[in-house]
Amino acid sequence: MSTLIMIDQPPYGAWSGREALDMAFSLAAFDQPASLLFTGAGVNWLRQAQEASGIGQKSVEKNLSAAPIFGIEAILADRAACNTYSLDESSLIEGVTLVDVKTALLTGYHHTAFAG
Amino acid sequence: MTAIQTLHILNKSPDHPRAARCLEIMSAEDGLLLIGGGVLLLATGNLPGAGKVFALSPDVDARGLRQLTGDASVVDFPEMVALSLQAQRVISW
Repeated sequence: MSTLIMIDQPPYGAWSGREALDMAFSLAAFDQPASLLFTGAGVNWLRQAQEASGIGQKSVEKNLSAAPIFGIEAILADRAACNTYSLDESSLIEGVTLVDVKTALLTGYHHTAFAG
Repeated sequence: MTAIQTLHILNKSPDHPRAARCLEIMSAEDGLLLIGGGVLLLATGNLPGAGKVFALSPDVDARGLRQLTGDASVVDFPEMVALSLQAQRVISW
């Protein structure tokens, strides 16, 4: 039973993204295979050098860095969305795999769920 | 400083329908102030050709966009207040 959690909302505007992250981490902590896929404006979660103290939040970049510790299998990012938001290998955080989001990608998971 | 006719305050990310609507009706005498998720417009490189563009500093930094501000002016909270006073009218999207 592998689960893919998709995040298509931009960071900081709402809590649903962080909640989805907690859900993915919980699955992984209980040895349920889980991966994250960021699409649309959601890819902005993955940008380096986020400094969120000015808006009274912790940077989501720090949250995401805990993913390997919990045992998240993969952090995937939609290549087309990354292009839209000027994100490439040099500006993405470490450990992100660029993918083309097609049906074949989603059929590899027993369950796919959107955040929010 | 020339007066701004309408200040459009946009807090929706570029994939929100309201963001597209806002850019559609913006004219050369208007100003666009990006706040919250609205600052992600800076990363798309699709800033409006007409009118001045401003982006709120803490929101730009939270999203790591300081290198991508382009032709937009980065403003702080007091400057945001000044802009809203300077404008003839304000639309909060």
